[in-house]
Amino acid sequence: MLTTVKDSAAARRAVLANVKERRVRWVRLAFVDVLGIQKSVSIPAGEMEDAFNGKVTFDGGSIDGFVRGEEIDMILRPDPATFVVLPWEENGQVEARILCDIAMPDGTAFEGCSRTTLKRVLEDAGDVLQSVQAALEVEFYLYELAPDGSPTTRTTDAGSYFDFSAGDRGQEARLDASGALEAMGIPISSAHHEHGAGQHELDLAASGVLSMADRLLTVRGVVRRVAQRHGLHATFMPKPLEESAGSGLHIYFALGDIDEAVRLHAIAGLLEHAPGFTAICNPTVNSYKRLVAAWDAPVYTVWSHRSANALVRVPPPFGDAPPLLEVRSPDASSNPYLAMAVLVEALADGIRTRSLPGDPFTGSTYELGDRFRAEHGIRQLPKSLRQAIAALDEDIVIRGALGDHIYHAFRDAKLAEYERYRRAVHPWEREAYLRTF
Amino acid sequence: MHDETVVPARPLRRDRSETLLAFAEALARVAASGGGAQALAAHLAATIDAAVLVEDAQWRHLAVAGTGERAVPPSVRDLLPKDAEHDEAVPLAPPADAHARAFPVRAGEARLGWISVFPSGARAVDDRAGLIRLTAAQIAVELSRDAGGGRGRRRGFWDRLLARAYEDPLEAKEDAQARGIALAPGYVAVAVEGDGLDETVAAQKNAEIRRVCLDTLGTRTGDVVVVERGGGFFFLVPAPLEVDAANARTAATLIPRGVQRAGLDVKIVGGVGRHAEMLHVAQSVDEAREAMIIARRMFGGGRVMPYDDLGVYPLLHRTGATREDWRAFATRVLDPLRAYDEKHQTELVRTLELFFGVGQNIKEAAALLNVHRHTVFYRLRQIGEIGRLDLDSPHDQLTVRAALAVDALDG
Repeated sequence: MLTTVKDSAAARRAVLANVKERRVRWVRLAFVDVLGIQKSVSIPAGEMEDAFNGKVTFDGGSIDGFVRGEEIDMILRPDPATFVVLPWEENGQVEARILCDIAMPDGTAFEGCSRTTLKRVLEDAGDVLQSVQAALEVEFYLYELAPDGSPTTRTTDAGSYFDFSAGDRGQEARLDASGALEAMGIPISSAHHEHGAGQHELDLAASGVLSMADRLLTVRGVVRRVAQRHGLHATFMPKPLEESAGSGLHIYFALGDIDEAVRLHAIAGLLEHAPGFTAICNPTVNSYKRLVAAWDAPVYTVWSHRSANALVRVPPPFGDAPPLLEVRSPDASSNPYLAMAVLVEALADGIRTRSLPGDPFTGSTYELGDRFRAEHGIRQLPKSLRQAIAALDEDIVIRGALGDHIYHAFRDAKLAEYERYRRAVHPWEREAYLRTF
Repeated sequence: MHDETVVPARPLRRDRSETLLAFAEALARVAASGGGAQALAAHLAATIDAAVLVEDAQWRHLAVAGTGERAVPPSVRDLLPKDAEHDEAVPLAPPADAHARAFPVRAGEARLGWISVFPSGARAVDDRAGLIRLTAAQIAVELSRDAGGGRGRRRGFWDRLLARAYEDPLEAKEDAQARGIALAPGYVAVAVEGDGLDETVAAQKNAEIRRVCLDTLGTRTGDVVVVERGGGFFFLVPAPLEVDAANARTAATLIPRGVQRAGLDVKIVGGVGRHAEMLHVAQSVDEAREAMIIARRMFGGGRVMPYDDLGVYPLLHRTGATREDWRAFATRVLDPLRAYDEKHQTELVRTLELFFGVGQNIKEAAALLNVHRHTVFYRLRQIGEIGRLDLDSPHDQLTVRAALAVDALDG
């Protein structure tokens, strides 16, 4: 189980005791680069105390978005609250994993650390958001592996939403992944087949925002690993196939029993900053193949109680429970910490500025005309990574949340990615033009 | 010379004195309600059964009232005798009627404009000249305030706008610009009053209510205009777009909570008018006022209610609602549902008709529609969302039933 005690001497002692009790052989010290890709270094369990004392370093110059071009030893600071013994063994050896913040050699927090950035944003988010909780719906595809082990886009089923196919390997993999996550202390509130053939969804029960970002990182790793064991490839790529539904990451925020006006301000903040946070929440060129007017993907800055393709949905609550805010645009290719950071900043800014979101929308947002959108202040989400970066450039609130280091590192990496994509000649182009011209 | 031009030097008879006093009091009330020159002219026109034209010293129209079928010249500038001493009432030259007279509007030595009357002659009116002079004096007060400092000049503009004194948006814009006012293309009016305020604390409480309201209504689209009326306020919230109007409505409904949070021990009541173009902001003010009255009488106060959410009550409240008004109301309620039905081949309106036809019995409605009762529940939820109705609320039930009845009676 995940240790839930706070970062303190007691928590460290509890981790060390756990390491001993569970006969852990290796501890993987994990962190993310600016793009949200998990990195790790494994240390013998006996070195864990040294790790807690800041004695495990790595070359920050070799990690994307850190300090490229310079060789600099950066310190890993393990967070005891994230310690977990992995529910499988490698060659009979028990392994554990712990998530780390990054510090500079002088011990100060590294401003390029995504996890630290989220902590900072949460600290600065104001009283209302101090107890905010998040829940996730994460979608992914399970594809067959080719004989050489490379992923294909063939699926093990032809199912659709909520379908059940007895003996389907994909379903078995999903259940196994859910079980593994539960064993790691990540409660799954539901798991089901999604719209696309081979597409699945895991719903993560609510927890604190930092913890939920940690969990998403774990979910991505565990699902891929379990799928591999079933001879499948799990992908969180936002839009693997043009003709099938994309995979989103729906993020629910529970603001608790607050004044209804504050909830409206928070919604307004999300709508106001949606173009600005899109680059962070939808960070790949492929993300924008999903954000089109199909398969209930959101394309406009609209909120609604029921519309499935609104950017922000506030579903009618069950019983007396306070309503949740669902943000439907992000996808799981995003850096979980940065995605949560920009969304929390958007919520906080709406509350700070006491913005209002206009009236909730009813129906399908895909049918909104230009005039209606202009009159109702509805904007279109960026249609490409390039547009999204431009929108991020213009949003000083979201940029402020990221901090200069991450903003520039992320921007540079994404502009380079977009440029590579722009230069590439895609199969569609050959199909359209090779014979025509 | 017509006797109307004679300044009464003799002591007033008691009954005449009372008539003038009553008229002066009425004028004061009209002025206090913010109608400006237009409202004052209208009051005079109705009292003396004449058309009334008010022009300023530059011959710009300030008000025209009581014209009916009477012909009124565009200006009396060229109808005044060349040698007229512009301190007294003077007859106007043809084509004006022989009974037409112009009276100077003066403040001390300064002549601020002219008030011209065009009687029909059909009704004898005691001391018509006295009534006109009183009106001229009151208009002079209004114009003096306009001609005063920047604040007064700005206030004068809003008074005129609310008095519907401008017919041409360009004229209003130019006048606003001259007075240093940046106009928004549209506004939403919000009326707010503290209910049952003790006179001893009313001034202080009102100042606090005003502060909370401005704080709550504060907008990125421009300055909120405050107009004080009697014991309450009208706030004109700039709303260039529909989304600004929606936000103004939402913000207004939050005022009672803001007042509560501020620790003011006051029960607030208010109303919100519909989104109106700048020139027609008076309409939004009227609606806000009406919504406030309905909020107080039908909902017991303690809230600020948008006119749009009042359903059938404005029609029931208004005396003289026409058949057309009722039709427009039914259309407003039912058209969104009809449009949805047409587009999605659904039966929302029919479901409503049958649901109410069987006394809101879900089971019976389901049987008549030949659907499962869950389907009826689902459709009612859809209707609520599309029509912005709460079908559990007796007020909204009344609105829907009234709309269905109007629709049925129209065949």
